[in-house]
Amino acid sequence: MLILQGIIDGILIGGLYALMGAGLTLVFGVMEIINFAQGILVILGAFLSYSLVRATHIDPFVTILITIPAMFLLGYGVYYLLIARLKRDRVIMSLLVMFAVAQVIEGVLDIAYGGTLVQIHASYVDTSLRFGSINIPLVYLYAFILSAVLMGCIYVILYKTKFGRALRATTQNPAAAQLVGIDVHRVSAATLGIGVGLAAAGGMLYGMTASFNPASSYDLISRLLVIVILGGFGSVGGAMAAAIIMVVIEDVVAVTWSPVWGQTMFYLVLVAVLLFRQQGIFGKQIARAQ
Amino acid sequence: MLVFEGLFAGYGGGDILKGVDLVIEEGSVTCVVGPNGAGKSTLMKVVSGLLHPRVGKLEFQGQSIAKATPRQILKAGIVQIMQARNLFTELTVRENVELGAFLIKDSSVVAKRLDEVCDMFPIVAQRAKDRAGALSGGQQRMVEFARALMMDPVLVALDEPSMGLEPRSAQIIYDSIATMNKNGRTVLLVEQNVRAGLSLASHGVVMEAGRVRLEGTGAEVLANPQMRALYLGGTIEEGQGVASSTGVGAGAPAFGNGS
Ligand SMILES: Nc1ncnc2c1ncn2[C@@H]1O[C@H](COP(=O)(O)OP(=O)(O)OP(=O)(O)O)[C@@H](O)[C@H]1O
Ligand SMILES: [Mg+2]
Repeated sequence: MLILQGIIDGILIGGLYALMGAGLTLVFGVMEIINFAQGILVILGAFLSYSLVRATHIDPFVTILITIPAMFLLGYGVYYLLIARLKRDRVIMSLLVMFAVAQVIEGVLDIAYGGTLVQIHASYVDTSLRFGSINIPLVYLYAFILSAVLMGCIYVILYKTKFGRALRATTQNPAAAQLVGIDVHRVSAATLGIGVGLAAAGGMLYGMTASFNPASSYDLISRLLVIVILGGFGSVGGAMAAAIIMVVIEDVVAVTWSPVWGQTMFYLVLVAVLLFRQQGIFGKQIARAQ
Repeated sequence: MLVFEGLFAGYGGGDILKGVDLVIEEGSVTCVVGPNGAGKSTLMKVVSGLLHPRVGKLEFQGQSIAKATPRQILKAGIVQIMQARNLFTELTVRENVELGAFLIKDSSVVAKRLDEVCDMFPIVAQRAKDRAGALSGGQQRMVEFARALMMDPVLVALDEPSMGLEPRSAQIIYDSIATMNKNGRTVLLVEQNVRAGLSLASHGVVMEAGRVRLEGTGAEVLANPQMRALYLGGTIEEGQGVASSTGVGAGAPAFGNGS
């Protein structure tokens, strides 16, 4: 039963990590940038929702109607203001730019909120569904549902819209994308916007399921990187599966053995996977043009 | 129709094109040849806007396109097929070809063009749902040609379209180029198969070390004794005294073959 509990928790929370990881992997696919700021952006999203809930007493889930568009614009703006201007060594320079952005956001959050741990509250935060000895916190369930819905939206955008086709084309072959008239800058800006927008939603959910402060971003980003590496860089489906596997392993080890080993275990799994499959579990070896 | 004047361009580490002067006449097939590294592909990238010239004039139909983006140049009527890796290999053949009409809003126009290119290149209809990367090299070229025609371009810039193809596929490609030209499109062609390229061309251009070294009708350039010297590894200036006694007329084997 403990194991079953671990698996259920893993799937539910894995969905949330998949959502945050999807933002990272989409951006990597289009721009080859590892967005080191994704961890702190999730925390920014969490604080934005936290403040909105405290100020207006609306339901946390409603806050994303504001925070997703706001953070989309943030990502879009960061691309045009900072990344599009880089003329040389774009990949490595944009890595540094995102690192700097992360530092600035962390600094601002430190000033605004300090280091105390907070959590986003709602009336149902401590409510659980019980099935015999299995316990399903309502928040986990809601988080999973919202993550699934948003991932569904991402799927529709990627595979059913003209923008999605442009995004996939840019991911595969940026030069050819330019030659068919795709505005690669606009696609990149919108992709970073989507990635950061997903951090807004992920942040709200994260902030309801765990207590956080600006420093939580370090633990987050390392987990997200693991998910994206395991899932294969650039693969959204891979990130989803990897997130679930990761959290299930962690939870099962935590409930059957010890929480400390839970975390260690998934890093061990990461190392093992990378030793045998360098493209991750689900990643394809992608040969990119240029 | 397309005019280069004193054009310099490079990738940030010095100029690759060092003063290109060239005029592409409307309705012509201009074939550019030259040794590896001469700057032929660089010239093509400048034409399509992937690379901007550092200085110099570049005009298309009387308008400067020196600072234009690839998207603007495409809208002006120039489409380019690169030397390699043009396709989105994970997308289907049909998606690839449809992306050729990315800038066309009217879906009925897109559908009509799609029908037209399917008639011209049956492979597009036959393999519509297959991953483009699953096709053979020759088939991929056909898909690239089909995609290029979706914009109904005025000028088609082709960078070594026969590269890596077996003779039969290469012939189909040459025939398609002739057809495009007959249909009123101006063609700018880079070819490593000098004989095939120049026989197809109304105008021949030899590039070396970032400049145009020889020009004339396709036949004139092919017959020019300096060509041989160039392909034996010399430069044109140095090679002037070593004009071969056997000549390099239309019957001679292609210089670039197999390289
Ligand atoms: N992206 C790039 N960055 C830096 N240098 C480049 C780049 N592409 C080409 N070059 C350099 O520019 C020079 C000319 O290359 P270009 O591709 O234009 O030659 P080419 O005439 O097309 O040769 P080939 O017959 O081999 O295709 C070469 O010295 C090459 O190394
Ligand atoms: Mg070339």
